[in-house]
Amino acid sequence: MTQNLKLSNPGSTQPPARIGMVLGTEDVTPTIFWFAVSAGASVQLDDLVVVETQRPDGKTVTFYGLVDNVRKRHEGVTFESDVEDVVAGVLPASVSYAARVLVTRVDPENFIPPQPGDVVRHARGHELDMALSADKMKEGAFPGGLLADGQPLPLNFRFVNGEQGGHINISGISGVATKTSYALFLLHSIFTSGVMDRVGLGSGQGGTSSGRAIIFNVKGEDLLFLDKPNNKVADKEAEASAAKGFAADRYTMLGLPRQPFRDTQFLAPPRSGASGDAIVPNTDQRSEGVTPFIFSLREFCARRMLEYVFSDSAGSLNLGYVIGNVEEKLFRLANAQTAPGTHLSVTDWRPDEQTEVPEGIDWGDVGDIQIKTFDHLISYLEYKLLEENDGAGDKKWVLNQAQGTLRAFTRRLRGVQKHLSPLIRGDLTPAQAEKYRPNLLRGAQLSVVDIHNLSGPAQMFVVGVLLREVFEHKERYGRQDTVFVVLDELNKYAPRDDSSPIKDVLLEIAERGRSLGIILIGAQQTASEVERRIVSNATIRVVGRLDLAEAERPEYRFLPQSFRGRAGILQPGTMLVSQPDVPNPVLINYPFPAWATRKDEVDDLNGRDAADVGDDWLR
Amino acid sequence: MRIRLDPWPIDTLDGQLTLEPFKGLVFNVETDGWHAIAAQAIPARVRQICVVDGKPRMEARLLLEDETGTLSLAGFGAFVVGAVSLCPHGSRQAELREVKAQRVLAYSGDLKLEPTRLSPRNPHTGLLEYAPVTFAGAQLEGAKARVQRLMLDAEQQLSRDLASVMPLDETDQNVLPETLVLQDGPVRVGEAGRAVIGCVKTLHTDYLGADRIGLLGTLKPGERTPILRFTVGDRGDGSSSGREQRFTWYVRLSEPPFYQHPLAGVMRLEMHAPEDVDFVPRAVLDAANLSGTLLGRLASAPHKDARAPQNLIPTAALEQAMSRAMGSQELVTRRIRSHLAREIGAVA
Repeated sequence: MTQNLKLSNPGSTQPPARIGMVLGTEDVTPTIFWFAVSAGASVQLDDLVVVETQRPDGKTVTFYGLVDNVRKRHEGVTFESDVEDVVAGVLPASVSYAARVLVTRVDPENFIPPQPGDVVRHARGHELDMALSADKMKEGAFPGGLLADGQPLPLNFRFVNGEQGGHINISGISGVATKTSYALFLLHSIFTSGVMDRVGLGSGQGGTSSGRAIIFNVKGEDLLFLDKPNNKVADKEAEASAAKGFAADRYTMLGLPRQPFRDTQFLAPPRSGASGDAIVPNTDQRSEGVTPFIFSLREFCARRMLEYVFSDSAGSLNLGYVIGNVEEKLFRLANAQTAPGTHLSVTDWRPDEQTEVPEGIDWGDVGDIQIKTFDHLISYLEYKLLEENDGAGDKKWVLNQAQGTLRAFTRRLRGVQKHLSPLIRGDLTPAQAEKYRPNLLRGAQLSVVDIHNLSGPAQMFVVGVLLREVFEHKERYGRQDTVFVVLDELNKYAPRDDSSPIKDVLLEIAERGRSLGIILIGAQQTASEVERRIVSNATIRVVGRLDLAEAERPEYRFLPQSFRGRAGILQPGTMLVSQPDVPNPVLINYPFPAWATRKDEVDDLNGRDAADVGDDWLR
Repeated sequence: MRIRLDPWPIDTLDGQLTLEPFKGLVFNVETDGWHAIAAQAIPARVRQICVVDGKPRMEARLLLEDETGTLSLAGFGAFVVGAVSLCPHGSRQAELREVKAQRVLAYSGDLKLEPTRLSPRNPHTGLLEYAPVTFAGAQLEGAKARVQRLMLDAEQQLSRDLASVMPLDETDQNVLPETLVLQDGPVRVGEAGRAVIGCVKTLHTDYLGADRIGLLGTLKPGERTPILRFTVGDRGDGSSSGREQRFTWYVRLSEPPFYQHPLAGVMRLEMHAPEDVDFVPRAVLDAANLSGTLLGRLASAPHKDARAPQNLIPTAALEQAMSRAMGSQELVTRRIRSHLAREIGAVA
């Protein structure tokens, strides 16, 4: 798959017929103009059209554009009620059918207006490539969906992988906007269209370049079946092709294989249980092939994860100071551990001095205490900060902070203890710790991290820790092998008004990830509530169904007015895509997922008839 | 003293109601009684109604100077005639027919003039060509009158061409022709034998007299008066005998608003009459019978047309189309000036 994305329809060679003429009764400008649709022609929104005009010196200037408005009205009558007279056959009137064109490209770049009367035609073949700037994308083009007339929309991979730009942002109402589905479709297209190899070769890096994707599954168990074929896709695609009048199914038209994701791994948090219980993933619909992930207590300290425990609240300055200090203390403690294992061994804890003696303390051989649970870690911190020295705490830990601040710190820790205990454990063997450590960058091409069963603070913790790991890894190894991070509900992780450590990581990714090869495919219901720098750093912006009030906010100004109005009526499976090569957004539809999104969509029979499979069993 | 409004706006040339008494003789031909007659449905036989109108316009007054230095008057003028073709049963959409403008250079005297061609300044402004026509005499309004005359002739020709032949037998059933023409103003000399109905919007002449005109005020919408006959130009002194004769009747199109004169909403219709007959041909009677229904459908509404209801809906549309066909007066004036400037050599 090294050839360029083929957009042209090779069947027709003669230029398409005239569909209209540029109007002279509305202003004609180089960027926007109206044309009168010829009798018998049909023009709809999103049609791509081409107009040629002659300069006085005889040279030709070609305008490529997108229809963003069509209207019909009675011509030659004055009153609205005249329609009755016209239909009654008393008043002569003609119907004026006109369409407005937003120009996407002028070639050569002579920004003169077209002449009223210039002929308008549908853009096809080479002209379509010009209208969508596919000629500029060359080997970087990969299909981003189908246009209304069934031709693929090229997206420029160089604007995705960080070379010229990076990041994709998707906005839309939950449920009907199908944001995650579109993100997955884009990943499918990137992984299977061969665009990564082509761009790798084209950039002189040689060989093949691979990419990985990390998806956080935030609601339902929708994404736990990405490796299974979908038993509905054949029917759905046949339906869609028939409804839209396409000759083939949409995967074929896009030049993409209709298959589920191949190289996948699924990570899920463990079920909470007593220490020593079997570690099983906390998922309802699927257990086979899902790996539980756990952070060892020692790692928690050694890798400074404490700050992500406090992600959900913007701490005061003093609290931040305490967090930083405790994190540092734990870091040193962890690095000083000599014994194997995942626990934390401390010698300066006298639980009997505490008002509430924690249960199940694990005394070591040499008088030390082995902290094996998150609960005990908190107890230890309480002792160091608030109990030792008759309530004054350990001076080195307290560092002159007020009791109130310290109490706020421990209170918050206690608050999230329940949520984080199953995730942070010190009772694992080193082998277990290795097995259950989430490994997103050395495993499969596509990693799904299921966090939907986790409570809010635990979700924040997991996302924050994992993203930071990815970021640090890429900082060390550079931008080869692009990593795509798919994260929905950005308004929760990177709200506009609050600050949190996880938002800092996302900001780092948004602003520096491009050059490191980390690409954020972010999605949110309302871009207006997401940190502005994250949204504005996305080169490719996608909008599904939007709330109409939301669509009027400045974040969506990249949509022309007519598109903002339409964003309120988009159906599932239809998106508006804006990319730098094409100055106006384009409406596309994309195929029904070839992978299962629910358990009951899983095609257990591998596409065979149930009767055949039954026969096999009986044989 | 009672005050009532004349229905038409003050900026039209005349009011609608002047009601000068007709001095000649008016005969009863349909019936001797004088009472309202109800409208009847339009027979399926009538397939097409053509509403015909025309419009003249003077575009420039000119002074021509020959070699001897003699001045004569002339003018650039334009006129347009056209028709709206519609189905009286509403089975299809109305359409404009033959709306074409012509331009003339009207001048007096024996000069030989070539057509004046105003060359287009860019491909979109089109060609203006004024064909020379002469008028007799040197009166001030000669050019304008000539253009008006040309327009009327063209209008009459169009009516003739469009209208079916009108049978004038007394009794034949189902003789109503297929195409009826509604022509603006009275019917003209030369239109005899064609199914042309003249629609006279104004009531400037009172053909009824004081004892009969009261009926007009009591007509209900769609109702008409009996048909009468008179001789065109009859001044009651016998001087005009032998001129053409006309059938005429009145139809009410709509109820007048309370503030208008009770005769508002009434229209007079005319058709050709064969000379000195004392019967009404069946076709004329049928035309009169359907006129109330037809005109009720075509009548305009006061909020849309200042001359409602007599200025019919298709007529108003036709007037608009005709103005457009003649082009913008301002642009034409500008073209004429620049043309003359080039002729004289003021600009290259």
